[in-house]
Order: sequence, then C-alpha cells, then structure tokens
Amino acid sequence: MDNILSLSALIFMPTIGALALALLFNNKAVEAMRVFTVVITAITFVMTLSLWSNFDPNETGIQPVVDGVNGVSVEWIGTWNIHYRLGYDGISLPLVVLTSFISMLAAMASWSINKLHKGYFILFLLLETGMLGVFLALDFFLFYVFWEVMLLPMYFLIGVWGGPRREYAAIKFFLYTLAGSVLMLIAMLMFYFGGGNEFNILTLTAIGQGKVPGLHFDEFTQITAFILLFIGFAIKVPCFPFHTWLPDAHVEAPTPISMILAGVLLKMGGYGILRIAFPICPVGAQYAAYTLVAIGVISIVYGGFAALAQTDFKRMVAYSSVSHMGYVILGMGVWKITADNGIMVTAGRDYWLMGMNGAMFQMIAHGVSSAGMFFMVGVIYDRVHHRDLNQFGGLFGLMPLYSGLAAGIFFAGLGLPGLCGFIGEVFVVLSTWNFSPVLAIVAASGVIITAGYILWTLQRVYLGSEYKGPHADEITPMNAREATIAITLLVMAVVLGVYPNLMFDVMNGSMAELVDGMDAGLRAAQQSGVSITAVPTP
Amino acid sequence: MGSLGSELSTYLLLAWLLPLFGFCIEVLGGRWGRNRQDKRAAYLAIACIGASFLLSSFTFYRWGTENHWQAFAASDDSGQHSVASLVDDGHQEKAHGEDKHGKDGGHNEHAGGNGDDVAHADEHAAEGHADEAHHGPGPSYSGTFYTLATFGALNLSIDYYIDSLTILMFCMVTLIATCIHIFAVGYMSDELTDEYVDHNAHTSDGNHVHRPGRFHRFFSFLSLFCFSMLGIVLAGNIFQVFVFWELVGISSFLLIGFYTERKSANVAANKAFIVNRVGDFGFIIGLMILWTYCGTFSFGDTELGGHEQPGLFSMIRGADGEIATSGEDVLLKTSGHDGHWVAPTEGQPTKTLPYFLLVTAGLGVFGGCIGKSAQFPLQTWLPDAMEGPTPVSALVHSATMVAAGVYLAARFYPVFTTEVLLTIAYIGCITAFIAATIAVVATDIKRVLAYSTMSQLGYMMLAIGLGGWAAGIFHLITHAFFKSLMFLCSGSVIHGCHHEQEMPKMGGLRHKMPITAYTMLIGVIAISGLAIPGTSIAFSGFHSKDAIVATALAYMKLNPVHFLLFLIPLVTAGITAFYMFRLWFYTFTGKPRDQHVYDHCHESPAVMFAPLLILSVFAAGCALGGEGGPLYQMIGNSEPLGVAAGVEHSGVANIALPSHHDIHEVHSTAGIAALLAAALGTITAFLLYCRPVVNPETIKRQFSGVHGFLVEKWQFDNLYDAAFVRPAHVVGRWCAGFDKNVLDWILHSAAKTAIWIGTVDKKFDEKIVDGLVNVVGNVTRSVGMSLTVFQTGQLRQYVMFIAISVVALFALLFAFMPKA
Repeated sequence: MDNILSLSALIFMPTIGALALALLFNNKAVEAMRVFTVVITAITFVMTLSLWSNFDPNETGIQPVVDGVNGVSVEWIGTWNIHYRLGYDGISLPLVVLTSFISMLAAMASWSINKLHKGYFILFLLLETGMLGVFLALDFFLFYVFWEVMLLPMYFLIGVWGGPRREYAAIKFFLYTLAGSVLMLIAMLMFYFGGGNEFNILTLTAIGQGKVPGLHFDEFTQITAFILLFIGFAIKVPCFPFHTWLPDAHVEAPTPISMILAGVLLKMGGYGILRIAFPICPVGAQYAAYTLVAIGVISIVYGGFAALAQTDFKRMVAYSSVSHMGYVILGMGVWKITADNGIMVTAGRDYWLMGMNGAMFQMIAHGVSSAGMFFMVGVIYDRVHHRDLNQFGGLFGLMPLYSGLAAGIFFAGLGLPGLCGFIGEVFVVLSTWNFSPVLAIVAASGVIITAGYILWTLQRVYLGSEYKGPHADEITPMNAREATIAITLLVMAVVLGVYPNLMFDVMNGSMAELVDGMDAGLRAAQQSGVSITAVPTP
Repeated sequence: MGSLGSELSTYLLLAWLLPLFGFCIEVLGGRWGRNRQDKRAAYLAIACIGASFLLSSFTFYRWGTENHWQAFAASDDSGQHSVASLVDDGHQEKAHGEDKHGKDGGHNEHAGGNGDDVAHADEHAAEGHADEAHHGPGPSYSGTFYTLATFGALNLSIDYYIDSLTILMFCMVTLIATCIHIFAVGYMSDELTDEYVDHNAHTSDGNHVHRPGRFHRFFSFLSLFCFSMLGIVLAGNIFQVFVFWELVGISSFLLIGFYTERKSANVAANKAFIVNRVGDFGFIIGLMILWTYCGTFSFGDTELGGHEQPGLFSMIRGADGEIATSGEDVLLKTSGHDGHWVAPTEGQPTKTLPYFLLVTAGLGVFGGCIGKSAQFPLQTWLPDAMEGPTPVSALVHSATMVAAGVYLAARFYPVFTTEVLLTIAYIGCITAFIAATIAVVATDIKRVLAYSTMSQLGYMMLAIGLGGWAAGIFHLITHAFFKSLMFLCSGSVIHGCHHEQEMPKMGGLRHKMPITAYTMLIGVIAISGLAIPGTSIAFSGFHSKDAIVATALAYMKLNPVHFLLFLIPLVTAGITAFYMFRLWFYTFTGKPRDQHVYDHCHESPAVMFAPLLILSVFAAGCALGGEGGPLYQMIGNSEPLGVAAGVEHSGVANIALPSHHDIHEVHSTAGIAALLAAALGTITAFLLYCRPVVNPETIKRQFSGVHGFLVEKWQFDNLYDAAFVRPAHVVGRWCAGFDKNVLDWILHSAAKTAIWIGTVDKKFDEKIVDGLVNVVGNVTRSVGMSLTVFQTGQLRQYVMFIAISVVALFALLFAFMPKA
C-alpha cells in the first residue's frame, strides 16, 4: 500500500498543484503562479529521481516487487476486472524521469505566456499528470484513461495559447490522436475478450507470449491488434505518413508546450509500442517488422529532406523530429528471424537488443535535444516575433551566449559524438545491417541530410555579418532564467553523450527481457500451430 | 596486457586529455568577462599541448627503453614481444632470409656504378641491415579505457592501441601543434582588442564589420581539435576512430568558420563538414558490415568476460597475415589462444564474411578516408577551407587532420583486400595529379599550398595502395613537417603583408622578411624532393618521395597493366617542384609588383619566426638517413604482417604487391627518375619566374582554355552543385510539397466529406426522416450540427462533442458487454 501511495503521489502531485492554483491563487498573481508551478514540477522531478535511485537494475521485470508480485494495484472497477495498477521498469523509468525533467524546464520556460495565466498553469500541470500516468500505468484501461487525460489539456494549450492558426492546429492534433485512440480502443477490447477478460498488461503480455496455459492470442488477433496499435502509436511518434499534424501543432504551440510535445508526448508512441504492441503481439510484431523498419527509414530520410525545405524555424525543427523519431521505429523493428530445427527463431539477438536499446536511448536523447531546439527557437521568437529562417543572421555577434548554447544543442541534434544524439542514432544504424542491408544503407545516408539541414540552419540564423530581420533593436542577451534552461539541457546532452551507460544500465535488463520474451512468444506461437515464414529482408 | 602497455597508455591518456581540459577551461573562461587583451587562454592552450608533447616524448623514451631500442638496433632481435604482438616464428625466418638477400643484391647490383648509384647502394645496405631488426610488426599494446555500452556479446568501448606508429604520430602531432600554437599567439594578436575590424566582412551598407576580438575562442577551438586528433591516433577500435573522426570534423568546421561574419567562411565550413559526411556515409557502411559479421570493432585482441577474443586484424589476417577463404566467403580466424589466431578447423564453429562484403567494408571505410584526406572525388572542400586563419590551415588542413585519412588507411591496412588497395592507389594517383595541375595556376598563396597538400596526400594514399605501407607513413610524417612549415611561412607573409594573399601583389619579399623566405625555401626544397646527386644529402621530402616512387616502379614491374600508377606520380613530382618553386620565386624574388604592399611589409616577430626555425630543422632533417634512418625504422616497426614479403598475384583484380626486396632492386632507378623530374620542374620554374626567358602570361594566353579549366578546378564545384546540391533542395521541396498537397489534402478532403455527410444527413433528417423517428433524427442532427461547426469556427464545442461521444461510446460498450 505504501508503494501505491507513493507512486500515486508522484502522478497526482501536479494535479494537487493544479487544484491549489485554482483555489488559492488570485488571477493577478502571475509571478506567484509561475514560481509555484516551477516548484511543483521541481518537486515532481525530485520524486522521480528518488524512484530512479531506488531502482534495482538487476530486477528485469516490473518494480516495485511486493511479495513476489510485480507492480502494485488496487481494484478499481470490479465488474470489468479493471485495476488501478502501477509500476515501472527499465523501459518506463527513464521516460518518467524525462517527463518530469522536461516539464520542469518547460515550466521555467513559461514566462513568455502572456494571457489567462491561471488556466494555462492548471492545464499544464494536468498535462503532466496525464503523461506520468501513461508511463506508470500497467492496466490497459488505466493507460487509456491517462492517454485521454493528457489529450484534452494539450488541445486547449495549443488552441488557446497558440499562434495565429492555433485552432486549425489544435483540431488537427486532436483528431489525429483521437483516431489513434480509437484504434487502440478496438485493440484493447480485442485483448479483453480474447484473453479472459483481462486488462492487466502484464497478464496480457504473458498470454501473448504463450506463458499462460490454455490461453493464447491467435495469429489473426495478434496481427490485427498489432496493426491497430501500431497505427495508433505511429500517429503519436509520429512517423510517415501520419506526421502532418506535428509541424502544424509545433508551429502554433507556445514554446513550453512545443518542448513538452517534442520532448515527451512523441515518446508515448514509442513507449506504447514497447509496452503494449510488442510484448503482447510478438507474432504481429514479427509480421510487420520489415514494414516498421521501412517506415522508420522513410521517416528519417523524408523528414530530413522536408526539414531542408522549410523556411519557418520551428517547422524545420518539427520536421527534424520526424526524422529523428524515425530512428526509434527503425531500432525497434530490426527483429531478424531464421530457421532453427524447423522453427523460426531470433537471429542475431544481440543486434536486435542493441537496436531496441538504441531506439530507447534515442527517445531520451531526442527528448533532451528537441526540447532544447524548440526552446532555442522560442528564445529568439520572444525577441523578434518572427521565425523566418531567411530573416535572421548575425546572432552570434549579438547574442554570443545564446548562439553558443544553441550551436551545442543543434550539434546534439546533428548526432555529433560526445552529445546525446550520436549514441541513439549510430547504435540503431549499426544494428540495422543484420536485419536489412539495403535499408541500413538508406538509413545511414541520413547523416548527410541531417548535417545539411542543421548546418544550413545554423548558418542562416547565427552566422553572417548582420541581422536581417525586423525588431533588430529588441535583440537582447539571454537572461539568467533562459540561460539556466539552455545550460541544463546542454549539460544533459553532454552527460548522455559521454556516459550513455547512465541509461543503458537501467534499460538493458528490461530490454533483454522484452527481446527474449518476444522470441519465446514467437516460439510458443509456432508450437501452437502458427506458421511463421521468414520474409526476405533485403 | 603487459604492465608496459598500461604504463604507456596512462601517459598517452594524459597527453590526450590535457587539451580537452584546456578546451573546457578556455571555452568556459571566455565567458566570464575577462578583458579582450588577455592572453591567458593562449598560454593555457600552449601549456596543455606542450605538456602533451613532453608526455608523448617520454612515452617514446619508455617504449624505446623497455623494448631495448630494438626497432633501431642493428642486430638485436631478441627484443621482448608483448602478448598482443602476433609474431610467427616461421615468418620471422622468412623475412630474415629475404632481407639478407636484399642487402646482398643491393651491393652486387650497384658495385662499380657511378657515384649516385654507390650512394644508393650504401643506403640499401643500411636498410638491409636495419631491416633485420624489424621482422614483421613490433610489439603493440591494446586495452580498454572505458566501456560505452554492452549488449550481450557485443561491446562498444573507448580503447587504446599503441604501437610505434601511435607513439610516432603522438610526437609528431603534439610537436607541430605546439609550434603552431606559439605561432598563433603572434598571428592572432590582432584579435586582442575590443574593436576588431574585419576587412573581409561587410554589412549591407557597405561598412566593414566591427566586432570584439575572439582570441580566446580561437585557442579553445584549437585545443578541442588537438584532443580530437589525438583521440583518432590513440583509438583502439574503428568505432572510436569514427567518434573522433566526427569530432575533428566539427573542430575543423568551427575553425574554418572562425570568421563567422564572412559568408565565404561559413559556406566553406559547411561544405567541409557536409562533404566529409558524404565520406562518413561510406565509413558507416563499412562499420555496419564489420560489426554485423565480426561482432567487434577492436583492432587488437581483447579480453571479454575472462576469455580472449580476436580483434579485427587477427580475425581477418590471423597469425600468418593471409586472408583465409572458403568458397565465396572469408573464413574469420576465431580459433586459437595466446594471440595466435587461425581459421577454425573441421567441426569447430565458424564465422564467415562474404568476400565481396569485406571488399565493400574496406571501400566504405576508405570512403571516410577520401573525405577526410580530400581525395578525389571529395576533394573540393579543402581549398575552400583556406578561409580559416592560417595557423588552422597549417595544423588542421595540412599536417594532421587531413593526414588522418592516410593514417586510418594505414592503420586499417590488414582489413583491405588487394581490390581495395588498387582502388586506393588509383584514387591517390588521380588526386595527386589533379591537385598538382590546379596548383600550377592558383595565385592565392594559401590555395597553392592547399592543392599541394591534396596532391601530397594523394602520394601517401598511392603508396599505401601499392603496398608501400612504410613509405606512405614516411611521407605523412615528413610532409607534416615541411607543409606545416610552409603554411606558417605563408602565414608569416600574410601577416607581414597585412592580409594580402595574392601572389601577383607580392614579389621580392625576401629582402623584407629573410627568415620567412629562407625557412620557406627549406620547405620548398623538401617538398620538391631535390637532393645533391651523388650523395644522400637531401631534405626529408626527397627520402620519402623516393621511397614512394621506388614502390611504384616495383609495382609497375609486377603489374605492367597499371603502369600509370608509376608514370603519373613521376610526372606529378615534376609538376610539384615546378609549382612550389613558382610560389617561392613569385613571392620572394624579383621586383615588388605592388609597391604599397611591399612598403608596408615587415618580418614577423620572434614568437612567429621561432616556430618556423624549429619546424625547418625537422623539415630538413627528420628523415635523416633515409630508409636506414631512425624515423623509417620506427615506422617499419609497426608495419603490418605480410607487407615485407609482398603478395603474389591474387584477387579479382589479380594484383601482386611488391616485397621489400622488389623495391630495393629498383630503388636507384626510381631515385634518379624522381630526381630528374624534380630538377626539370625546378629549372622550368626558375626560367619562367625567376630569370624569365618566356613570359608566363604568354603561355597563359596561348592555353587559355586549359588555364580556364584549371582555374575552375576541373569544374568539380559546378558539377557537384548541379548534380547534388540543387537536386537535394528540389527533393526537399518535393517532400514538403507532398505533405501539403497530398497528405494534408487527403486529410482536408476527409474532413470536408465528413461535413458534407453531416449536412446531407441533416437535410435527409429534416425532409424525410424528421417526424418519423424523432429520437434518431435528433441525435443525427446534433452530429451534423457539430460537424458544421468546423466551418463556423466554434471548435471547442466540437471537441467537447467528440469527447462526450467517446464517453458515450464507452458507456454503450459497457452496457452491452456480457457480465463476467
């Protein structure tokens, strides 16, 4: 009971903060509300850190383990066998910490919000609760509820506090995500009725991997559910061709919301695949592996080219997110199988494990670097009120600290060694050849395009002899608050780039369990009569 | 690993990390409001790199003492070998015998010849003699500093691999870097101001850009570069090389673009990085193949989880230096113990790698070298990189970073098949020629040197491709000294002439800046490969170029089809001498062509000419003794297995590589040919530019077509722009357009359809159904109404409706769900 209370306290800490804001604060006390929100997010961050420090990397399953049972739960809606079930492992914990970390920085970046402050901060904190809930929920129904809880605040945060086309962007974001949710809902019901009226993700995983006697998901269920779930999550990631909501949402969203959107929300897609779609439907995952990898590779290249063509700074960064998140899908999908004694088994398990770890690392790295990039765009936008890449230039001379930090963060996006982007990208790419040489080569070509659009952007914005756009007189150096945010992100990028084991130590065990569990699931499915054929993967 | 290995690695680790420490302090310290006249950043940077040099030298001393200087000793072959060194006794014997043969042959062949030949014979004797001391590779030490990540049996780490080549490179890089750091204190001194006027950058109203000086930043970037460069040299695995490969790339980017206000500098920096990334694309493909099939990136053998694992070199070459094949596949040598690896025998588990993939991997990694060393076809970035301050050109773009490509090609030699080596040879050959021809018409003093660098790097690549492993590295080292010297001299000229770089505006400068002029002359003689006939008295460049030409000649004798690989370098040697002396005569002799520049010109201060003097000593004397001298001996100590013995005709390309013996046989012929070519070039330059018998302008007019083609750098820039850069932007616009015109169109159409259905539905309700089925009608109407809201802009209401309907959907689902 202690555990469930402390995890709940973590999730609902921001909600409590939101309530306090609503009840105790005067609408005019803007500064107090800002500081209060930062304090609440900081407390939440510290709580997630304590979770991190209590994490046992040798326990590969869900923690906390109480009396030999993974995770903690209380019954919620008994009729439907719905539980309030929480827990974390090496896959969700880094994302939980990332969420609270980015939320804290985004709260610090919220000084630029200039209307309806109270509503903004309340919604902001509710959003954080939704995100934490998604990453900590272990009951599919609860997961779904948190998924939707997160959706509404986001809609309003874009739709009310956004830019000129905010309503279009907000509704586009909302409809896209809702479409994904509906697909997820169908899959959830398929599992529920096919798996003994169960919403428990851990039980569903065991059933999907053939570990529960007498229960299994047949081939049709696995493949259909996987496709539904994958589309639902792919919209969130987002990958080609479901990505067009992202540039619009980013361009219109206020800076801190862009940071959260890129830093955390996109990761929910990847997390959903790792937590739900993959473990429950190993047959479906294998069925779609080549498509996944192909989609990942297309996203990398397509996103990169599209970023090259943008003239809006924020749109450029948004497309770079599409490109970078492509590595996540790519790394997960590199599951090669081969025939061994008449059944298909994983071939080159360590390469797949590396790809999965790389994908997971890329999520964290992108969370840091993209949040940083959006923040950097926001800093200059707050001053000159435009984002036209062709109307910048010469900022290096005018704002040296800002430009230096921005260069560092953009280099992290570029995948420069020593910074976080490199590890994720290169690990994923290295693991790909084992699966498909052709797609590996295409993925590797991403390094050229990435260098092209990032360096060209840096040149147009920061370098050159003079600033070419409007409001030149309003360009002032970064203030201490802005510098703190940027330095924190850059330091994080360096730490992750130099000491990746900070993440891998936590992730590796759970990732290995997932990989081996899916392999076992594939074997079990074949023993129960499913025939798996190895699709040629050039 | 022996204790010596860990001792040496500790010293080199320190030498490697010191510049990083310097960088951190300098880059952070620059922020905290020091005044712009403060030189402390430079002193810190010099202290760090100087200490690195001392540590490298000490490492060299320790390495030498512990190995009883056996690399240099005449007949002490009882030197201790580290565990990691893979010395096959049988092979030792073989090499031994051959070397004796070479020695005798040398004597016999040249006995009674003229003076020149005797000199060569003596040299050969010395070589043969010394060769006895280094049969096959000397000791190498490898180990791990730091593990990046482990996935099952896969392991990525920061390792070290130390042999004589590593130590030599460390000493060379740190020595040259120290000199250049000191030089830069003088060269960059005009940055020590709050109001620096950049005469090459203009604002839109036509004024020069005024900005604060950035002295400290320059030194912080230099330190970052030194750290990255030493990282490449120390790297114990190919992944780590890639890591630092990228880091030198970004240091180079920062340094080329140091004058951020100049558009030309920014464009050049971007170009350098992106063109290098094209090469890195190949590099990554190579990495992926090796990673997938070998499961390791390590050069040397490693210990993982208590048991020994072969590194890449052992897996591919094993104990005998040969690639084992089985059908179309390469049999990886994974069986063995104590560092003696052989192919698995029957019944043992085998690990194979298709031969064509080994070739692809080799070509891929070499692709990285092509980019970094500015070889054809990725050579276009290097001349533009001259936008950076001259000390940068000297350090990064001549002596060290661009040579890293050659270094990697040499380091990775065991992985290259003969097909790859042939490619390397041709790429090097083509580059050497193209660059030399462009250098002939260039008028910017730094660009001449840039093209000359490309050309000389081509020579090194050629040597490695021809199997002249030691000759290539030999030239790398000598070139590093004389080219950094010449770049610093050009920097001194540019500094003295107040940032004038065009040679047509110079002339007669030796009267104004004698030290610069004559140290430069040493460099020019060295690169031209001039020597006094009949003696072996020559500057460093002669010896190394001689070694390369001899290798090429021996190669041509074995593979007559590839005669161009000898002829083109020979011709290029002549062109090299021509354009280098052209530069020197043009700049330093004759009458001043621009009196204004001449009048204001002055010799540089001591802080700048002192490094010139130091470097000129090395440029002249580092190769003392030629192939019998200590430098070549030290290089030979790291020569990969099997190079000395040559390779019989093999592979798809059916190439044979010359053995040391083959090369010795033709050495004197090659030496004469090279010397003749160089002399011819020098004389031509003398007659055109020093004591003109023909006016060069006349020649230029007569061959204006060729001249234009060369001035346009063989049209590569225009070609690449049309073939790659513009298309990339077009594809980018297509992608963005696809989003807007196709994907969003589909979305919007879907939305419109939904609204339309809603409207039709509404009308249908009103006209037909209404009144009949009131309940159903009302519900549907609300759907229609809420969808039309999409047009009126009341969106929040719409979203609310969706949310409510989702909840309603749930309620319905639960209502009809069977009770468990």
